[in-house]
Parts: sequence; structure tokens; C-alpha cells
Amino acid sequence: MELLRLENLTKTFGGLTAVKDVNFTVNEGSISGLIGPNGAGKTTIFNLITGIYKVTRGAIYFQNVPIHDKEPHVIAGMGITRTFQNIRLFKNLTVYQNVLTACHHNADYGIFDAALRLKKFRRQERELKEFAGRLLELMELSGWKDKVANSLPYGLQRRLEIARALALKPKLLLLDEPAAGMNPDETRQLMNLIRRIRDEFGCTILVIEHHMDLIMGICDNIIVLNFGKKLAEGPPEKIQQDPLVIEAYLGEGGMPGA
Amino acid sequence: MNWFYIEGVLILAGINIIAVLGLSLLTGFTGLFSFGHAGFMAIGAYSAVYFGERMGLPFAVSVVAGGLVAGLVSLFIGRLTLKLKGDYFCIATLGFGEAIRLVLDNVQVFGGARGWPGIPLKVDLVTVTIFNIVGILFLMFLINSRHGRSMIAVREEELAAKVIGIDTYRYKVISLFISAVYAGIAGGLLGYYLTFLQPKLFGLQKSTEYTIMVIFGGIGSISGSVLAAFILTVLPEMLRSFAVWRFVIYGAAVIFIMIARPQGLMGGKEITLKGIAGILGIPGRNRKTARSGEV
Amino acid sequence: MNQILQQLINGFSIGSVYALMAVGYSLVYSIMNFSNFAHGGVIMLGAYFGFFFITLFKMPFWVAFIGAGICSMLVAVLVERMAYKPLRARNAPFLYFMISAMGASMFIENFVIATIGPTFRTYPQIFPAEPFSLGGIYVGRLDMMMFLISAVSLIALVYFIECTKLGKAIQATAFNPRASALMGINTDSVILTVFGLGGFLAGIAGVLFGMKYTVYPQIGFITIKSFIAAVFGGLGSLPGAVIGSFILGIVETMVSGYIMSQYRDLISFSLLILILVFKPMGLMGKSVEDKA
Repeated sequence: MELLRLENLTKTFGGLTAVKDVNFTVNEGSISGLIGPNGAGKTTIFNLITGIYKVTRGAIYFQNVPIHDKEPHVIAGMGITRTFQNIRLFKNLTVYQNVLTACHHNADYGIFDAALRLKKFRRQERELKEFAGRLLELMELSGWKDKVANSLPYGLQRRLEIARALALKPKLLLLDEPAAGMNPDETRQLMNLIRRIRDEFGCTILVIEHHMDLIMGICDNIIVLNFGKKLAEGPPEKIQQDPLVIEAYLGEGGMPGA
Repeated sequence: MNWFYIEGVLILAGINIIAVLGLSLLTGFTGLFSFGHAGFMAIGAYSAVYFGERMGLPFAVSVVAGGLVAGLVSLFIGRLTLKLKGDYFCIATLGFGEAIRLVLDNVQVFGGARGWPGIPLKVDLVTVTIFNIVGILFLMFLINSRHGRSMIAVREEELAAKVIGIDTYRYKVISLFISAVYAGIAGGLLGYYLTFLQPKLFGLQKSTEYTIMVIFGGIGSISGSVLAAFILTVLPEMLRSFAVWRFVIYGAAVIFIMIARPQGLMGGKEITLKGIAGILGIPGRNRKTARSGEV
Repeated sequence: MNQILQQLINGFSIGSVYALMAVGYSLVYSIMNFSNFAHGGVIMLGAYFGFFFITLFKMPFWVAFIGAGICSMLVAVLVERMAYKPLRARNAPFLYFMISAMGASMFIENFVIATIGPTFRTYPQIFPAEPFSLGGIYVGRLDMMMFLISAVSLIALVYFIECTKLGKAIQATAFNPRASALMGINTDSVILTVFGLGGFLAGIAGVLFGMKYTVYPQIGFITIKSFIAAVFGGLGSLPGAVIGSFILGIVETMVSGYIMSQYRDLISFSLLILILVFKPMGLMGKSVEDKA
């Protein structure tokens, strides 16, 4: 079942084309990888999917609904969320507050329910707090609950960012270089975590990563970008053999038209 | 020092607390800077007195209605500028605050620059205290809800707030609205306490003074704001002979706070009953000062 | 017809001084992305420096004029070192810079009130009062000088930014601070230069304004005009700031001349709000997308 579809997606900044006519689909329940050399347009695609950038041309469909003209928070509300390459936590808040803040979509009480502490507020707030607590346990962050996010070691900050994203109960989770700065051991743990998230939260995952072990180890489908265009797509075995991909990565004479 | 004088200072402190609470929501919790809060205060003050004295509405109703008028005006300003980057909002509020003052200077119905004298005295310590309690409770309950947390998220990291589904624009508008209502109510109370109104009362200096109180108390702390508003109203009254240097010291202190202790007096923490018990050494189940957000 | 031309010339002369203020403000904005509210304080100090150099130290006008510029430059650099550098070192959020700027502005203004006093002071007559005639239009000598000095300073500034190495470094830093730092540009010295330049221009603008009107501690309030001008033109754009300043100067003199001088400021502020509604990025500002 198709969850996300990009159709001739194009984004230009002034005269510079960052993404050009990219097409691919992401199937429900899959783990897909988005790879390519630096500047290939990977993060730009994430920014387009999440509505942070406005699409220049082309379309993005989520569950067959066009989302390319929607605001970021609306897209998030539909079930797409992400992490950032350069971690963007609520730095001065605690681990618990970071997650709790992101839980807001699981409640619908209004401002007056809150101001008057009505029953609806009290019940929903209790549920939110329980859920946030469970999430921290699941992500093995309970021990850090009251620590300020900024004071966490780097690897845990990454994990907290994923936990915060999961608080939305997303259908599609976009991870932007989740293994950046991790050692092989941590990377292996992360791979297990990503699989577990897919299975336990039932969400589809699209991941940008430079660690090839991770990409080849967990992805069902890999999309390769180069200079803003799609170069290849397929399962890991096929991508590993693809001469075009090998050339782009080893940079033999560069790509035509570069 | 007689009681009459002390009561007067306390009433002024209470009025300042209301205005600072509102600004605290906007600047301290949502991270938006306003140089026009004196303008909202002026709108609240003149509307309240108009409702009360020209239309004959009861005192409490006219003060609250004055606050709502200020809120409505803020919606207009907010819709225009809150989609833009922070600086534009800041400069727009600055222009707005001055424009309001200049308009009032020229509107003869309200007395123009000479002011509006002869307003009956209707504010006493009890009234101000009631407004304070309601104001503090509302803000506390708001901050400790999903709405308050969303506002804090806007302050902390706007982009991240957006991708976890927070309508940052909407929350900025709401925050500005509530904050303007507080300012408007404070204005109405001020008018009914001073018994006269003058556009001059609501200059840029007033707006910056309130911002300073928020900063002294600490960004993101309700009790800090209350404490700072109180101290910074009472202290200058006691040090009258020192008045010329007051704003020199404020200026230096603001820079110092930003450099050395940006968390201000309270450091983003709140005074809670549990916390006080903890300091006094009374055993309790949970002996720590709660951080804002989980009181 | 002659009267319109007359007002137009007055507008240009006021506008050119606004431009001197607005470019300094805009330069800092383009590099550091925050509104430097302390700019008004520097302008005010410039006016006082010039005043005391002339009256107390009996300096010749041009010496006092340049001296005021240099002293203001030092003040601006000092403000940067004291109020902003520690924040930069800590990568503090933008809000803190604004607050610190507000503190600096408040400190400078009230320090002057507490030490020199709140009284209004008038510059002695420096240029002859009688205007000279230019084909039936009378131009005040002071207005003429204001325009010429501002024009020369602005041209020098453009030359500096376009044709010197440091100027190019400023442009590069405004475009992308991270990349230019990686390319070996010393961000710190760029920032110092920008504050120095802005401070110098603010200082001489202060002297010109003091000569045209009077000197008093709240004269820095006039910077609000330069904020407005910068918003007209688009925050962070130098040509925008200059064009915005001229438009503002002309609108103001037209309003004072033909409608009512009390409405002058009111109309400026309303214009500001209108611009924000219809052309929020200003005439020449670039719209920026948040970078993720």
C-alpha cells in the first residue's frame, strides 16, 4: 500500500535548482532510505514533505491527499513528522517536557477547560502524562526524565528527538541522519531501535543517512539522489551493484551535467 | 509613612503586576518582544473609563470590557505582523504604541493631550487583589496545559514546534491577545485609581519598564514576574531621592542579567508550596522546587 | 509649484540624515539579524559630543564634527563589546540580543539625563542663517550642508563596501555568516567594523540633527524614524534603507507643510503599519525561508 508519493517534485532557490523532477513512492510499513552525496537535495526533500519549504513545481501526496500546499503544522497533524540533521530540541526544557509538549495532538481540551480546570482537562491531561511517561520508558529515557535536554549526551539528544516525534503517533516518520556522530556500537543499537519503532508504533520510516551499514541493514527500498535528481531506486542488493551509484559515490570524473 | 501612602504603593504594585503578567506570557513564555504594551494599556484605560463614565456600565464590567477592547485591537495588529519574523512584530508594536499615544493626543473627546480629569476613584486594595488572584490563577492554569506548553515551544524552537504540529501563528496570536487583555485591564484599573488619564502616561518608557520587570523576574516564570513587578514598584518609591539614576541602573542591570544570568531572579522556576516547604525543611513526599510546566 | 519644490528639497535634506542613521542600523541588522536599539543612544551622544566640542572646547566646526563621529564610533564599538559580544560567544537566542540592546539604549539615555541633565541645548549658529536663492527657490545653507555631507558619507560608505577587502567581507558575512567564517573571514572584526561604521555615521547624523533642531537626551528617539525607513526599504538592505529614508523625509515635510505638523509622526507610524500590511518585506528586502 502506497503511503507517500512524490510527483515531479522540483524546488529552486533563486536560480539554483536543489531538487529536480524527483518521483518516488514510500509504501506503508516500510523502512526506506534516502541517500546521496552532500548537497544532493536530501534534506530539501524532507523540508518539502514537511511543508517547511514551499514546493516550486510538482506534487506530494500523502494517503492520496495532496499536501504540498499545506502548512507544516497541518501536515504534522495528518501524521508526518521528522527529526532534524542539526538537532532541534526544546533545549531549556526537561526531557519529559519535550515529550509532553509534543503530545498535545492527543488531547482536544480548550483554553477555558484549562483555565477552569474542568473535568475534560483533568482527564485528558492525566492521559497525556501517562502516555508521555510510557513513551520515555519505551525509549529508555525514563532515567533522564527531569534532566534539561541541553545537558544530555549527544546520542541521547538524538533519541529524545525521536521520542518527541513519536509522541505525535505519526504514520510517517522522517529521520534526518539519525546516526550522525555515533560510533559503530551506537549505530547498531539505533538500527534495532528503528526496526522496533516500525513494529511497535506501526509507522512507516523514511531515513536519510550516510552510514551505509545502517541503510543497507534496515531499508526495504533505497532512493539515491545526485545533484537534485533521482539516480536510482531499489532494494539494497540492487543499489549496491548499480554502476551509476558506485560512480556517483566514488566520484569518477563526476556526473555529466554537474 | 502612613497607611494611605502604603496602600497607594501597594495598589500601584498590584496594577503593575497585572500588566507584567500579561507581558510575561508574551515575552517570557512565547518569546515575542513588544514595545507597544503601554498602547494596549492606554486603549484599555480610555475604553474602560468611557464605558463606565459615559455609558454608565458598572465598574468591574467596564474594566473587563476595556481589556477586551485592547485584546481586539491586538488581534488586528497580530494578524498583520505575527506571520513575519520577530523584528517586524517588534517594530510594528513600537510604531503602534506611539501611534496610539499620538491619536489620543489629538482626540478632543477624551481630552486630548491635556488628559481626562475627574474620574471617580473606584479602585482599592481589595479590588486590585481580586484581579491579581484571578490573573495569576488563569495564567498558571494556562501555562500548565497543552496550550501553554505549545507557547513555550514557540519560544524554544519555532521550527521544531511546527513539525510536531503546533500552529505557531495561532498560538502567537492567542498569546498576544491574552497579554493585551491583561494590559488593558491594568490600564482601566490605573485610570480608576489615578482619577485622571493622560496620553503621556502611556509612553514608550512604560512599555520598556514592564519588559524590564519581566526580565528581572526571569523569562518564563510567573512568580518571578510577580515578584519583580512588586519589588520594582516598591523599591523606587522608597528611594525617591535616587530617582534620576533609576533607569541608568535598570539599563546596566538588564545587560548584566542577559550576560550573566539570563534566567533572571527565578531562573525559569516557580515558587510552589512544596518548594517553600522544602526550603523550610518540612518533610514532604516530593521535596523539590517544581519547574514551570509541571506544577 | 515653487512651494512644492521647496518642500521637496527640505524633505531630501531631512531624508538624507535619516539615511545616515538607517544605514548604520541596517548594516548591523544585515550581519547580526537583530534590531540594535542602542543606535539611538549613539546618535544622541554624537549630538552632545559635537555640541560640547564646539561650545566648551571651542573647536572649529569640522574638527568637532569629525571628532563627534569618532567618539560615537568608539561608543558603538564599546556597546558591542560590553552588551553583545558575551552573548555572541554563548550563541544566545535572538531575544537576548534585543533585550541587551534595550538595556544599552536605556543606560545611555538615562546616564546623560543623570549627569548632563534633561535640558534642551542649542548649537551656536555655524552656517549663516540667510538662505541662498536657486532659481527662485530658497534653500537654507544648513539644509544644503546636511544634504551634501550625508551624500558624501553615503557615497564613501558604498565605496568602502563595494571596493575594499573589508567591505567585501561584510557583504559575504551578511550573505552567509557560517560559510564566510569557514572561508577564513574573521567574523569578529567584521562585526567591529560594522559597529564602527554605523557609530561614526550615527555620530555625524546626531551633530546634523542637533544643529537643525536642539540637543536633548531623548533625541535618540528619532532613530525610530530610521527603523521605519529601514522597514520601508526592507530590513538589512542598504539601498532600501536609503530610499526608505528619502521617502520618509519627503512624506514628513509634505505632511508638515500641507496638512498639520502634529500629524507628522502619526502619519509616519501609520505608513509603517501600511507597509507591513501590503509589502511586509519592504521595497528591497529579500524574503527568507527558514533553513532547517
